[in-house]
Amino acid sequence: MEKAASESQVAEFVRAAREKKAPFEIVAGGTLRAVGKPLANLPLLDVSGLSGIIKYEPEELIVTAAPATPLTEIAAVLGEKNQRLGFDPADWSQVLASNGVATLGGAASADASGSGRLRHGGARDSLLAFRAVNGLGETFRGGAKVVKNVTGFDLPKLVCGAHGTLCVLTEMTFRVYPRPQLAVTLCLSDVTPDTGFAALRKIAHSALEPAGLAYLPSSMSGSMMPDVGQGAALIKLEGAAKPLEEKLAMAHGLLGNAASRIDSDPFVAIGSGDQFADLPGDIWRVMIAPSDAPRVARELNAQYWLGDWAGGLLWLAAPPSDAARIRAIAAAAKGQAMLLRASAESRVLYGLYAPQPEALAGVSRAVKAAFDPLFLFNPGRL
Amino acid sequence: MLLPPTDSKIVARRAEIVSALQAIVPDGVVADKSGLATFDSDALSAYHQTPLVCVLPSTREQVSAILKYSAAEGIPIVPRGSGTSLSGGALPREDGILIGMGRMKRIIEIDYENACVVVEPGVTNLNITKAVEANGFYYAPDPSSQVACSIGGNVAENSGGLHCLKYGLTTNNLLGVTMVLPGGEIVTLGGKSGAQGGLDIMGLVTGSEGLLGVVVEVTVKILRKPPVTRTLMASFDTVSAAGACVAAVIADGVVPAAMEFMDGRAAEAIESYNQPGYPKGAEAILIIDADGVEADVSHAISRVTAIVAECGGKTVEATDEKQRARIWSGRKAAFAAMGKLAPDMICMDGTIPRHALPQVLDEMAKLSEKYQLGFCNVFHAGDGNLHPLIIFDIMKPGEFERAEEFGADILRLCVKVGGVLSGEHGVGVEKRDLMTDMFTPEELALQGRVKCAFDVGGLFNPGKVFPMLSACVEQGHIHVHGAQLPHPHLPRY
Repeated sequence: MEKAASESQVAEFVRAAREKKAPFEIVAGGTLRAVGKPLANLPLLDVSGLSGIIKYEPEELIVTAAPATPLTEIAAVLGEKNQRLGFDPADWSQVLASNGVATLGGAASADASGSGRLRHGGARDSLLAFRAVNGLGETFRGGAKVVKNVTGFDLPKLVCGAHGTLCVLTEMTFRVYPRPQLAVTLCLSDVTPDTGFAALRKIAHSALEPAGLAYLPSSMSGSMMPDVGQGAALIKLEGAAKPLEEKLAMAHGLLGNAASRIDSDPFVAIGSGDQFADLPGDIWRVMIAPSDAPRVARELNAQYWLGDWAGGLLWLAAPPSDAARIRAIAAAAKGQAMLLRASAESRVLYGLYAPQPEALAGVSRAVKAAFDPLFLFNPGRL
Repeated sequence: MLLPPTDSKIVARRAEIVSALQAIVPDGVVADKSGLATFDSDALSAYHQTPLVCVLPSTREQVSAILKYSAAEGIPIVPRGSGTSLSGGALPREDGILIGMGRMKRIIEIDYENACVVVEPGVTNLNITKAVEANGFYYAPDPSSQVACSIGGNVAENSGGLHCLKYGLTTNNLLGVTMVLPGGEIVTLGGKSGAQGGLDIMGLVTGSEGLLGVVVEVTVKILRKPPVTRTLMASFDTVSAAGACVAAVIADGVVPAAMEFMDGRAAEAIESYNQPGYPKGAEAILIIDADGVEADVSHAISRVTAIVAECGGKTVEATDEKQRARIWSGRKAAFAAMGKLAPDMICMDGTIPRHALPQVLDEMAKLSEKYQLGFCNVFHAGDGNLHPLIIFDIMKPGEFERAEEFGADILRLCVKVGGVLSGEHGVGVEKRDLMTDMFTPEELALQGRVKCAFDVGGLFNPGKVFPMLSACVEQGHIHVHGAQLPHPHLPRY
């Protein structure tokens, strides 16, 4: 394993790898190494030294940090100025049984977004600019450190969710937002998936700007809250004291005064999939049109599952033998089933996502080659 | 402006190409001179070129067939939506097929259950909102040309508007795009789930200025209309006080729905143009919208009012819808008002970090002296997007050239302070030759390779966005003569 703690060291390493035509795996915090197709014992480039906040400009609503900066560090520094990252990064280390440290670059590269994606979008929606080294060993920039920019191709979108297959990131600039003073979670108990998701969509399509909308069947709510009967619809609202009061009153109106406040905030655990950490089997994230959630959940027929993003995301645990069936259900619903946690054999067999139609797969390969013509970076992971 | 040389062999084959296209779209080929004149420029009217032929497909299958034909025959393609681009993105080629998407304007599906609308690319931005507003929804991005510009064009340009700070650009409001690749293959990116299952090709295609393919279907998010919107106007004795106020509002944690800046010259010109009630003698004016639930808006308005006072400004709040509209009518008439001050005007579009505003305004004033030309500034202050307006008289020898140089220097200044060449109008042909001021040769080469990933033959919108090796140093802009913009009925802001 080699370490690179500066952009020039990364570039030097890449140029050497290019000479040798030797692909490698990029590792920072190490939490995501078992996501996607396994990389067969490739050499490692350890970029965990590329860590720390480079420039934080609260008045410009942007923060620039090295990609291996831990999410906890970012949250703490922004918190001092009552701000938060523009997207809601999820720490999947528990569900992936990793002792690693979840980092900014990892969360963006894996498009790891928690419950807040519903309101704030994903990493793609808040990464404004980055620096990186491409497969030719050249340093380059994508985007710019301003909120509004249409100059040239929008490369920051591409690196989010690319799982490190395009370039080695060395610096990232994100939008930040004011952090709301208060948050409250409402719980609508003893509701079926049909009723629960319908209530969540009602809130999603109101002017309440909810920060989290999830449905937990009774099998999943046990440790987090008291008996919820058939299941619970959870609604997180944010704001300063008075606006929050107003939003709560509006929410109660929309929900027919049937919801009650709960003291804890279940959404950190929901967004990071923590409740699936101790369950056996493969862990899936199935992304669909929100209104299809009750039907797709029925078809998936998993004992352990939950719905986030008002139904747009279903988490589930399933035996490895279910993989093809889950992919078929997702495809029929015009959605995407991401195999987040599985054995190396399953990940080889099924990949992170279903294979794309040939024309799209061809374009994706060609785009990747534009960045990394020798396919040196995390080859095949995505 | 140097464009790739015309291929006379293609021009010589015109009759054959016209009949091949007529075989694909029997009722949608424009080949006569007067018909083609309609399509010879977009809203960057300083540049004109009659296309070889214009084809107006009605279905995605026709688009696919046209692109298969052009790929096989090696004929350049220029995609066009409504032709409202301010950067020449749809400027035709003498040896190229102009593919106009205006006939594909069906709203395919309105899905309130998933808060999205599926449309063909020729549907106008405003018609999406009109289709859903009775149910209390709207489509958030609102470019000034929204009454005319098409959603396909919005995807191509990643269009913005007044509300980007809070609601994002087009790219943040899309769930899915279906497009035809330069080889004719149809691909679907995302959908109602928004998930793509691989690289974010939808994000790459959005804002790609017609270089990567033709969009044939778009799925957009719609939002619930905020129950309350209130508008403040704040006036300042100095530009720097207004700039400090913008920074202080943002730092306070308020995210206004819109925050617009006008300097004294712009405000004065506007006041004499349509009397929106802007205070006399102010050196800078801010218009600020807050929207949301009642208490959120009240909180924002009271914070902004206090901050304006701390920064030495005075606020007036619109008391009713009528007054709100009146305050905004001035801002939205800025281009037209400036057009009254001189026969000609060009509008620039760059973004800067907000903190650089005082420095940029200072340096612009110096440039104005250097080039002996008047200018004013309107500015989407919330997101740092500047629209300097340079006035000149094209009849006076040398003024147009000086205006262009002045404009180019302003954009270079934007880049120097850490900003960009274009915040929302796009690069097109207008700023193409300034790209080397912002990007290194390696960065431009990388973007060129990304283009090749879609368009191996280099047939899609050649000569746009990326500079050519031996380009002249010359830029076009939105050129306004006699206060007449192209599409004079469109407000521009």
